[in-house]
Amino acid sequence: MSYYDIDSILTDAQKLPCTFELEVPGLGILEGNPGDDIKAGTRIDLPLWLGEMLSIGARLGTSRLVTLDMPDALAERVMNALKADPRTVDLRALAPHFYTLSERILEIFEEEEMVDVLINTFKKRAAEISDHAHNPRGAVGDGVDFLRGLDETERQLFRAAHDRAKQVRIWAGEAKKK
Amino acid sequence: MDYPRSRVPRWTIDDPDRVVTMYGELGNKLVQHAKRTQALAQLPPYQTEIVRAVTREVRDLDRDVARLLDPFEGSFNPSADPATACSLLVDHLCMRRNKRCLMAYHRVRTEKLEELCWTGVDVLEQQQPSDGSEDRGVSQSAGGHSSLSPEEEEYFRLYSDMLAAYKGQWTDVDLTGTLEPPKDLFIDVRVLKDAGEIQTEYGVINLTKNSQLYVRQGDVERLIAQGFLERLS
Repeated sequence: MSYYDIDSILTDAQKLPCTFELEVPGLGILEGNPGDDIKAGTRIDLPLWLGEMLSIGARLGTSRLVTLDMPDALAERVMNALKADPRTVDLRALAPHFYTLSERILEIFEEEEMVDVLINTFKKRAAEISDHAHNPRGAVGDGVDFLRGLDETERQLFRAAHDRAKQVRIWAGEAKKK
Repeated sequence: MDYPRSRVPRWTIDDPDRVVTMYGELGNKLVQHAKRTQALAQLPPYQTEIVRAVTREVRDLDRDVARLLDPFEGSFNPSADPATACSLLVDHLCMRRNKRCLMAYHRVRTEKLEELCWTGVDVLEQQQPSDGSEDRGVSQSAGGHSSLSPEEEEYFRLYSDMLAAYKGQWTDVDLTGTLEPPKDLFIDVRVLKDAGEIQTEYGVINLTKNSQLYVRQGDVERLIAQGFLERLS
Protein backbone atom coordinates (compact mmCIF):
# COMPACT_ATOMS: atom_id res chain seq x y z
CA MET A 1 0.00 0.00 0.00
CA SER A 2 2.35 2.67 -1.14
CA TYR A 3 1.52 6.35 -1.39
CA TYR A 4 1.58 6.17 -5.18
CA ASP A 5 -0.29 2.91 -5.51
CA ILE A 6 -3.25 3.47 -7.82
CA ASP A 7 -5.32 0.62 -6.43
CA SER A 8 -4.75 1.81 -2.92
CA ILE A 9 -5.93 5.30 -3.88
CA LEU A 10 -9.04 3.88 -5.53
CA THR A 11 -9.68 1.75 -2.46
CA ASP A 12 -9.61 4.86 -0.32
CA ALA A 13 -12.17 6.48 -2.58
CA GLN A 14 -14.84 3.94 -1.69
CA LYS A 15 -17.52 5.29 0.52
CA LEU A 16 -18.78 4.36 3.91
CA PRO A 17 -21.62 5.78 5.96
CA CYS A 18 -20.63 8.43 8.49
CA THR A 19 -22.76 10.19 11.06
CA PHE A 20 -21.80 13.70 12.07
CA GLU A 21 -21.74 14.24 15.83
CA LEU A 22 -21.73 18.01 15.80
CA GLU A 23 -23.10 20.81 13.75
CA VAL A 24 -20.62 22.17 11.26
CA PRO A 25 -21.52 25.38 9.50
CA GLY A 26 -20.82 25.64 5.81
CA LEU A 27 -19.81 22.05 5.25
CA GLY A 28 -22.94 21.22 3.25
CA ILE A 29 -20.88 20.58 0.15
CA LEU A 30 -20.18 17.12 1.50
CA GLU A 31 -23.88 16.46 1.13
CA GLY A 32 -24.08 18.13 -2.22
CA ASN A 33 -25.56 21.37 -0.89
CA PRO A 34 -22.73 23.88 -0.87
CA GLY A 35 -23.30 26.82 1.43
CA ASP A 36 -25.55 24.89 3.77
CA ASP A 37 -24.68 23.64 7.21
CA ILE A 38 -24.40 20.08 8.37
CA LYS A 39 -26.59 19.28 11.34
CA ALA A 40 -25.52 16.97 14.10
CA GLY A 41 -26.74 13.46 13.40
CA THR A 42 -26.62 13.83 9.62
CA ARG A 43 -25.74 10.62 7.86
CA ILE A 44 -23.58 10.97 4.76
CA ASP A 45 -21.59 8.54 2.69
CA LEU A 46 -18.04 9.82 2.80
CA PRO A 47 -15.00 8.39 1.05
CA LEU A 48 -12.73 6.36 3.25
CA TRP A 49 -9.86 8.83 3.12
CA LEU A 50 -12.07 11.51 4.62
CA GLY A 51 -14.23 9.51 6.98
CA GLU A 52 -11.36 7.62 8.53
CA MET A 53 -9.44 10.72 9.53
CA LEU A 54 -12.54 12.53 10.80
CA SER A 55 -13.38 9.61 13.04
CA ILE A 56 -9.92 9.51 14.58
CA GLY A 57 -10.71 12.43 16.85
CA ALA A 58 -12.99 10.09 18.74
CA ARG A 59 -10.13 7.81 19.59
CA LEU A 60 -7.83 10.57 20.70
CA GLY A 61 -10.36 11.55 23.32
CA THR A 62 -10.89 14.99 21.90
CA SER A 63 -14.23 15.94 20.49
CA ARG A 64 -15.82 13.30 18.32
CA LEU A 65 -16.46 14.54 14.81
CA VAL A 66 -18.10 11.62 13.06
CA THR A 67 -18.83 8.00 13.78
CA LEU A 68 -18.34 5.38 11.13
CA ASP A 69 -20.54 2.50 10.16
CA MET A 70 -19.88 -0.63 8.19
CA PRO A 71 -20.20 -0.03 4.47
CA ASP A 72 -23.00 -1.88 2.71
CA ALA A 73 -20.46 -4.06 0.94
CA LEU A 74 -19.60 -5.68 4.27
CA ALA A 75 -23.09 -5.78 5.74
CA GLU A 76 -24.40 -8.73 7.70
CA ARG A 77 -26.47 -9.78 4.69
CA VAL A 78 -23.35 -10.03 2.51
CA MET A 79 -21.48 -11.97 5.17
CA ASN A 80 -24.31 -14.48 5.34
CA ALA A 81 -24.27 -14.89 1.58
CA LEU A 82 -20.51 -15.42 1.66
CA LYS A 83 -20.90 -18.01 4.39
CA ALA A 84 -23.48 -19.86 2.33
CA ASP A 85 -21.53 -19.93 -0.92
CA PRO A 86 -18.67 -17.55 -1.68
CA ARG A 87 -18.72 -18.37 -5.37
CA THR A 88 -22.17 -17.03 -6.11
CA VAL A 89 -21.61 -13.52 -4.75
CA ASP A 90 -20.87 -10.71 -7.20
CA LEU A 91 -18.09 -8.95 -5.31
CA ARG A 92 -17.53 -6.39 -8.01
CA ALA A 93 -21.08 -5.10 -7.68
CA LEU A 94 -20.54 -4.71 -3.94
CA ALA A 95 -17.23 -2.87 -4.23
CA PRO A 96 -14.73 -2.85 -7.10
CA HIS A 97 -11.89 -3.16 -4.60
CA PHE A 98 -13.66 -5.49 -2.23
CA TYR A 99 -10.72 -7.14 -0.49
CA THR A 100 -8.55 -4.08 -0.13
CA LEU A 101 -11.57 -2.20 1.20
CA SER A 102 -12.21 -4.96 3.73
CA GLU A 103 -8.59 -4.78 4.79
CA ARG A 104 -8.85 -1.07 5.46
CA ILE A 105 -12.19 -1.43 7.23
CA LEU A 106 -10.86 -4.17 9.46
CA GLU A 107 -8.05 -1.86 10.51
CA ILE A 108 -10.77 0.35 11.93
CA PHE A 109 -13.31 -2.15 13.23
CA GLU A 110 -12.68 -5.19 15.36
CA GLU A 111 -14.52 -8.04 13.63
CA GLU A 112 -12.91 -11.40 14.20
CA GLU A 113 -15.62 -13.37 12.49
CA MET A 114 -15.54 -11.23 9.39
CA VAL A 115 -11.82 -11.94 8.99
CA ASP A 116 -12.53 -15.67 8.94
CA VAL A 117 -15.40 -15.32 6.51
CA LEU A 118 -13.31 -13.22 4.14
CA ILE A 119 -10.28 -15.49 4.27
CA ASN A 120 -12.48 -18.46 3.55
CA THR A 121 -14.14 -16.55 0.71
CA PHE A 122 -10.81 -15.72 -0.86
CA LYS A 123 -9.56 -19.29 -0.62
CA LYS A 124 -12.68 -20.80 -2.15
CA ARG A 125 -12.82 -18.26 -4.93
CA ALA A 126 -9.08 -18.41 -5.64
CA ALA A 127 -9.40 -22.11 -6.41
CA GLU A 128 -12.26 -21.37 -8.79
CA ILE A 129 -10.33 -18.51 -10.41
CA SER A 130 -7.33 -20.73 -10.96
CA ASP A 131 -9.58 -23.34 -12.56
CA HIS A 132 -11.00 -20.76 -14.97
CA ALA A 133 -7.59 -19.32 -15.75
CA HIS A 134 -6.13 -22.69 -16.68
CA ASN A 135 -9.16 -24.04 -18.51
CA PRO A 136 -10.59 -21.21 -20.54
CA ARG A 137 -14.16 -21.85 -21.52
CA GLY A 138 -14.56 -18.89 -23.80
CA ALA A 139 -16.90 -15.93 -23.55
CA VAL A 140 -19.98 -18.09 -23.14
CA GLY A 141 -20.65 -20.79 -20.64
CA ASP A 142 -21.20 -21.15 -16.96
CA GLY A 143 -18.14 -19.27 -15.74
CA VAL A 144 -18.97 -15.90 -17.27
CA ASP A 145 -21.11 -14.59 -14.44
CA PHE A 146 -18.54 -15.61 -11.89
CA LEU A 147 -15.67 -13.99 -13.74
CA ARG A 148 -17.62 -10.80 -14.20
CA GLY A 149 -18.11 -10.61 -10.45
CA LEU A 150 -14.41 -10.68 -9.59
CA ASP A 151 -13.07 -7.76 -7.61
CA GLU A 152 -9.86 -6.00 -8.59
CA THR A 153 -7.56 -8.21 -6.54
CA GLU A 154 -9.16 -11.30 -8.01
CA ARG A 155 -8.87 -9.96 -11.53
CA GLN A 156 -5.16 -9.49 -11.04
CA LEU A 157 -4.96 -12.99 -9.67
CA PHE A 158 -6.84 -14.32 -12.68
CA ARG A 159 -4.56 -12.46 -15.07
CA ALA A 160 -1.45 -13.67 -13.30
CA ALA A 161 -2.62 -17.29 -13.31
CA HIS A 162 -3.62 -17.07 -16.96
CA ASP A 163 -0.39 -15.43 -18.14
CA ARG A 164 1.82 -17.74 -16.13
CA ALA A 165 0.19 -20.81 -17.62
CA LYS A 166 0.84 -19.40 -21.06
CA GLN A 167 4.46 -18.61 -20.26
CA VAL A 168 5.08 -22.10 -18.98
CA ARG A 169 3.79 -23.49 -22.27
CA ILE A 170 6.13 -21.19 -24.17
CA TRP A 171 9.06 -22.18 -21.98
CA ALA A 172 8.29 -25.85 -22.53
CA GLY A 173 8.26 -25.20 -26.24
CA GLU A 174 4.61 -26.18 -26.66
CA ALA A 175 3.47 -22.78 -27.75
CA LYS A 176 4.97 -20.05 -29.87
CA LYS A 177 5.60 -16.55 -28.62
CA LYS A 178 2.80 -14.16 -29.55
CA MET B 1 -19.51 32.92 18.33
CA ASP B 2 -20.15 34.32 14.92
CA TYR B 3 -19.42 31.69 12.33
CA PRO B 4 -18.53 32.66 8.83
CA ARG B 5 -21.82 31.58 7.39
CA SER B 6 -21.76 31.26 3.68
CA ARG B 7 -19.29 29.19 1.83
CA VAL B 8 -19.34 30.19 -1.77
CA PRO B 9 -20.13 27.25 -4.01
CA ARG B 10 -16.67 27.29 -5.42
CA TRP B 11 -17.12 25.87 -8.85
CA THR B 12 -19.71 28.38 -9.87
CA ILE B 13 -17.20 31.21 -9.61
CA ASP B 14 -15.21 30.22 -12.64
CA ASP B 15 -17.61 28.16 -14.61
CA PRO B 16 -21.37 28.36 -14.29
CA ASP B 17 -21.85 25.07 -16.13
CA ARG B 18 -19.81 23.01 -13.78
CA VAL B 19 -21.85 20.79 -11.53
CA VAL B 20 -20.98 21.02 -7.88
CA THR B 21 -18.67 18.17 -7.14
CA MET B 22 -17.67 16.76 -3.86
CA TYR B 23 -14.02 17.46 -3.09
CA GLY B 24 -11.72 14.80 -4.36
CA GLU B 25 -14.07 13.59 -7.11
CA LEU B 26 -11.92 15.18 -9.78
CA GLY B 27 -8.79 13.74 -8.30
CA ASN B 28 -10.47 10.39 -8.37
CA LYS B 29 -11.21 10.80 -12.05
CA LEU B 30 -7.54 11.45 -12.60
CA VAL B 31 -6.57 8.29 -10.78
CA GLN B 32 -9.04 6.30 -12.84
CA HIS B 33 -7.29 7.65 -15.92
CA ALA B 34 -4.01 6.49 -14.44
CA LYS B 35 -5.48 3.07 -13.82
CA ARG B 36 -6.45 2.81 -17.47
CA THR B 37 -3.04 4.10 -18.54
CA GLN B 38 -1.33 1.26 -16.71
CA ALA B 39 -3.06 -1.27 -18.91
CA LEU B 40 -2.29 0.51 -22.19
CA ALA B 41 0.76 0.13 -24.37
CA GLN B 42 0.69 3.75 -25.40
CA LEU B 43 0.38 6.90 -23.43
CA PRO B 44 -3.10 8.43 -23.65
CA PRO B 45 -3.45 12.22 -23.88
CA TYR B 46 -2.48 14.26 -20.85
CA GLN B 47 -5.58 15.37 -18.95
CA THR B 48 -4.76 19.05 -18.87
CA GLU B 49 -8.28 20.09 -17.96
CA ILE B 50 -8.69 17.78 -15.00
CA VAL B 51 -5.22 18.47 -13.66
CA ARG B 52 -5.98 22.16 -13.83
CA ALA B 53 -9.33 21.71 -12.14
CA VAL B 54 -7.77 19.72 -9.31
CA THR B 55 -5.08 22.32 -8.69
CA ARG B 56 -7.79 24.97 -8.73
CA GLU B 57 -9.68 22.97 -6.13
CA VAL B 58 -6.57 22.90 -3.95
CA ARG B 59 -6.16 26.64 -4.31
CA ASP B 60 -9.81 27.20 -3.37
CA LEU B 61 -9.42 24.98 -0.34
CA ASP B 62 -6.33 26.85 0.72
CA ARG B 63 -8.19 30.13 0.42
CA ASP B 64 -10.96 28.66 2.53
CA VAL B 65 -8.50 27.68 5.24
CA ALA B 66 -7.08 31.19 5.25
CA ARG B 67 -10.59 32.62 5.49
CA LEU B 68 -11.52 30.33 8.38
CA LEU B 69 -8.37 31.14 10.30
CA ASP B 70 -8.44 34.84 9.62
CA PRO B 71 -10.65 35.93 12.55
CA PHE B 72 -8.48 34.04 15.03
CA GLU B 73 -5.31 35.98 14.28
CA GLY B 74 -2.98 33.11 14.81
CA SER B 75 -4.34 31.89 18.13
CA PHE B 76 -6.70 29.14 17.07
CA ASN B 77 -7.56 26.54 19.68
CA PRO B 78 -9.20 23.45 18.13
CA SER B 79 -10.82 22.16 21.30
CA ALA B 80 -12.50 25.50 21.95
CA ASP B 81 -14.12 25.50 18.53
CA PRO B 82 -14.60 21.95 17.26
CA ALA B 83 -16.85 22.95 14.36
CA THR B 84 -14.26 25.21 12.78
CA ALA B 85 -11.61 22.64 13.54
CA CYS B 86 -13.70 20.09 11.66
CA SER B 87 -14.01 22.39 8.66
CA LEU B 88 -10.28 22.96 8.68
CA LEU B 89 -9.61 19.26 8.94
CA VAL B 90 -11.89 18.53 6.00
CA ASP B 91 -10.18 21.21 3.93
CA HIS B 92 -6.77 19.92 4.83
CA LEU B 93 -7.63 16.30 4.12
CA CYS B 94 -9.09 17.23 0.76
CA MET B 95 -5.95 19.08 -0.20
CA ARG B 96 -3.82 16.16 0.88
CA ARG B 97 -5.99 13.77 -1.07
CA ASN B 98 -5.78 15.90 -4.19
CA LYS B 99 -2.03 16.06 -3.85
CA ARG B 100 -1.84 12.29 -3.67
CA CYS B 101 -4.05 11.90 -6.74
CA LEU B 102 -1.98 14.38 -8.73
CA MET B 103 1.30 12.80 -7.69
CA ALA B 104 0.12 9.30 -8.50
CA TYR B 105 -1.27 10.32 -11.88
CA HIS B 106 1.97 11.95 -12.93
CA ARG B 107 4.06 9.16 -11.57
CA VAL B 108 2.21 6.54 -13.58
CA ARG B 109 2.81 8.61 -16.68
CA THR B 110 6.49 9.27 -16.03
CA GLU B 111 7.06 5.60 -15.36
CA LYS B 112 5.44 4.86 -18.69
CA LEU B 113 7.69 7.42 -20.36
CA GLU B 114 10.78 5.86 -18.85
CA GLU B 115 9.63 2.47 -20.03
CA LEU B 116 9.16 3.82 -23.56
CA CYS B 117 12.64 5.32 -23.35
CA TRP B 118 14.13 1.94 -22.54
CA THR B 119 12.24 0.15 -25.28
CA GLY B 120 13.49 2.73 -27.74
CA VAL B 121 10.18 4.27 -28.74
CA ASP B 122 10.66 7.90 -29.57
CA VAL B 123 7.47 9.48 -28.27
CA LEU B 124 8.41 12.95 -29.40
CA GLU B 125 9.18 11.83 -32.91
CA GLN B 126 5.91 9.95 -33.22
CA GLN B 127 3.61 12.61 -31.97
CA GLN B 128 5.11 15.83 -33.22
CA PRO B 129 2.27 17.90 -34.67
CA SER B 130 2.70 18.49 -38.35
CA ASP B 131 1.94 22.20 -38.33
CA GLY B 132 4.69 22.86 -35.82
CA SER B 133 2.84 25.61 -34.00
CA GLU B 134 1.68 23.88 -30.90
CA ASP B 135 -1.04 25.57 -28.97
CA ARG B 136 0.05 24.22 -25.65
CA GLY B 137 -2.53 22.75 -23.42
CA VAL B 138 -5.57 24.21 -25.09
CA SER B 139 -6.82 21.22 -26.98
CA GLN B 140 -4.95 18.02 -26.53
CA SER B 141 -7.62 15.90 -28.10
CA ALA B 142 -7.32 17.52 -31.51
CA GLY B 143 -5.67 15.01 -33.77
CA GLY B 144 -1.96 15.19 -34.31
CA HIS B 145 -1.21 16.97 -31.07
CA SER B 146 1.16 15.56 -28.57
CA SER B 147 -0.34 13.44 -25.85
CA LEU B 148 2.37 14.66 -23.53
CA SER B 149 2.31 17.81 -21.49
CA PRO B 150 5.17 20.23 -22.18
CA GLU B 151 6.75 19.18 -18.90
CA GLU B 152 6.52 15.54 -19.86
CA GLU B 153 8.16 16.24 -23.20
CA GLU B 154 11.00 17.92 -21.37
CA TYR B 155 11.24 15.00 -18.97
CA PHE B 156 11.33 12.53 -21.82
CA ARG B 157 14.04 14.48 -23.59
CA LEU B 158 16.22 14.75 -20.51
CA TYR B 159 15.67 11.12 -19.55
CA SER B 160 16.62 10.02 -23.05
CA ASP B 161 19.80 12.09 -22.81
CA MET B 162 20.61 10.56 -19.47
CA LEU B 163 19.99 7.06 -20.73
CA ALA B 164 22.18 7.72 -23.77
CA ALA B 165 24.96 9.01 -21.55
CA TYR B 166 24.67 5.95 -19.34
CA LYS B 167 24.70 3.59 -22.29
CA GLY B 168 27.65 5.43 -23.80
CA GLN B 169 29.94 3.94 -21.20
CA TRP B 170 29.77 0.55 -22.89
CA THR B 171 30.37 0.69 -26.59
CA ASP B 172 30.33 -3.06 -27.12
CA VAL B 173 27.05 -3.76 -25.31
CA ASP B 174 23.69 -2.33 -26.25
CA LEU B 175 21.87 -2.04 -22.96
CA THR B 176 18.51 -1.42 -24.57
CA GLY B 177 18.98 -4.15 -27.14
CA THR B 178 16.75 -7.17 -27.25
CA LEU B 179 17.35 -10.01 -24.83
CA GLU B 180 16.30 -12.58 -27.40
CA PRO B 181 19.22 -14.39 -28.95
CA PRO B 182 18.90 -13.92 -32.70
CA LYS B 183 18.13 -16.97 -34.81
CA ASP B 184 19.85 -15.53 -37.83
CA LEU B 185 22.67 -13.07 -37.98
CA PHE B 186 21.27 -11.50 -41.13
CA ILE B 187 17.66 -10.63 -41.84
CA ASP B 188 15.52 -9.26 -44.64
CA VAL B 189 14.11 -5.82 -44.03
CA ARG B 190 12.02 -3.37 -45.96
CA VAL B 191 12.57 0.36 -45.60
CA LEU B 192 9.39 2.19 -44.59
CA LYS B 193 10.81 5.70 -44.26
CA ASP B 194 13.89 7.30 -45.76
CA ALA B 195 16.63 7.16 -43.17
CA GLY B 196 19.65 8.18 -45.20
CA GLU B 197 22.96 6.39 -45.00
CA ILE B 198 24.05 4.36 -42.04
CA GLN B 199 27.51 3.09 -41.17
CA THR B 200 27.94 -0.57 -40.42
CA GLU B 201 30.85 -2.89 -39.94
CA TYR B 202 30.53 -3.97 -43.54
CA GLY B 203 30.36 -0.53 -45.01
CA VAL B 204 27.70 2.01 -45.73
CA ILE B 205 24.10 1.10 -46.54
CA ASN B 206 21.71 3.51 -48.06
CA LEU B 207 18.16 3.33 -46.72
CA THR B 208 15.75 4.65 -49.29
CA LYS B 209 12.02 4.11 -49.00
CA ASN B 210 10.56 0.84 -50.27
CA SER B 211 13.92 -0.76 -50.88
CA GLN B 212 14.54 -4.24 -49.55
CA LEU B 213 17.79 -5.21 -47.92
CA TYR B 214 19.58 -8.17 -46.41
CA VAL B 215 21.45 -6.79 -43.43
CA ARG B 216 22.97 -7.75 -40.13
CA GLN B 217 20.27 -7.76 -37.47
CA GLY B 218 22.37 -6.01 -34.86
CA ASP B 219 22.93 -3.05 -37.15
CA VAL B 220 19.29 -2.30 -37.76
CA GLU B 221 17.61 -3.26 -34.50
CA ARG B 222 17.25 0.34 -33.41
CA LEU B 223 15.84 1.36 -36.76
CA ILE B 224 13.21 -1.36 -36.58
CA ALA B 225 12.22 -0.22 -33.10
CA GLN B 226 11.98 3.34 -34.33
CA GLY B 227 9.76 2.34 -37.23
CA PHE B 228 12.12 3.08 -40.10
CA LEU B 229 12.40 -0.52 -41.15
CA GLU B 230 10.07 -3.47 -41.17
CA ARG B 231 11.32 -6.96 -40.68
CA LEU B 232 10.29 -9.49 -43.30
CA SER B 233 9.93 -13.04 -42.13
